[in-house]
Amino acid sequence: MPTPIAQTDLESYLDEGLPIEEMARIERALRDDGGLQKQLAAINARRDAGVHSLGEVWRRHRLSCPTREHLGSFLLGVLDKDLTLYMQVHLDVMGCRTCQANFNDLKSRQAEEPSTSEARRKKYFQSSAGHLRRG
Amino acid sequence: MAPLAASDQLLVARIRSGEADAWSELIARFEGRLLAFVEGRLGRRASGEDVVQETFLGFLNSLPNFEDSRPLESYLFSIAAHKLTDHLRREGRRPTLPMAVGASSDAWEPPDRARAVSSMMRSGERRAHEETALVAALSQQIDRLRSRGEWQKLACLELLFVRGWANRDVANQLKMSEQTVANFKFEFLARIRTLVKKQDLSEDVFPELFESE
Repeated sequence: MPTPIAQTDLESYLDEGLPIEEMARIERALRDDGGLQKQLAAINARRDAGVHSLGEVWRRHRLSCPTREHLGSFLLGVLDKDLTLYMQVHLDVMGCRTCQANFNDLKSRQAEEPSTSEARRKKYFQSSAGHLRRG
Repeated sequence: MAPLAASDQLLVARIRSGEADAWSELIARFEGRLLAFVEGRLGRRASGEDVVQETFLGFLNSLPNFEDSRPLESYLFSIAAHKLTDHLRREGRRPTLPMAVGASSDAWEPPDRARAVSSMMRSGERRAHEETALVAALSQQIDRLRSRGEWQKLACLELLFVRGWANRDVANQLKMSEQTVANFKFEFLARIRTLVKKQDLSEDVFPELFESE
């Protein structure tokens, strides 16, 4: 894993797209590094002007993210060897946060008591249903 | 990710018409993955639930502007990322960035992308067309790799382009030769360039595609 903070890392940071430990590392660096802050502001300005890198477009559209069904099969250990290795890279090395979230959700659904998630869903519904048909 | 699936489209249409059951169904389908997304970063369940709650409210408030061509899950994750960022800023964990980078109006431009300056003034419609063309070209190549079962090549390209790793680091990680990584990169860029050129787009639009030519 390369240690310097690269331009691509900063782009991913702005999108909450890096692995959690990488996000924390950049946040720590930003506190003392004015140059890094300017670099981030420059990326924001470039985006405002409508210029995006290939990697940003790829990540934003999640062009190569596996489906939830594939993640479920990975969890069950029923994928072939090459696809299993790819999933490991996508989740653990690429550190795709949305796929990690899907994968962790699938895992926790197996372990969590249904009453716990039901209580959460009820809370979300009650706090938001009043906003239906607002538009 | 595929565009909005028919089932999601129908669900969104029912929510737009104010059906409480449909809203409840959307919450049940997505709350777990959204909570996992924010909780990993916050480390606390209660704050995570607050952010998910704000995400659902944000979705309802933005529903009039939601485009049906957009994948629903990606849209929800993008709202969650914004709400998470706001939450971290309020907690003082995420620094607030300066709005401007200097007096120069083109200071945003990376030094190696001078050719892209002319694209700054492009219309929003034109930019959307350019991005659509790039997404179509990338999707075509990614689907081609998937259908051929070329998973290692796909992993290699993700690390190169999405994470921005150097050839050497990718080679070490995937236990391949640097030459193989370079060949994958060259071949992929050549294909994307061809597809983008077919759309009659200028080289200025995505200069990185043409840097290695």
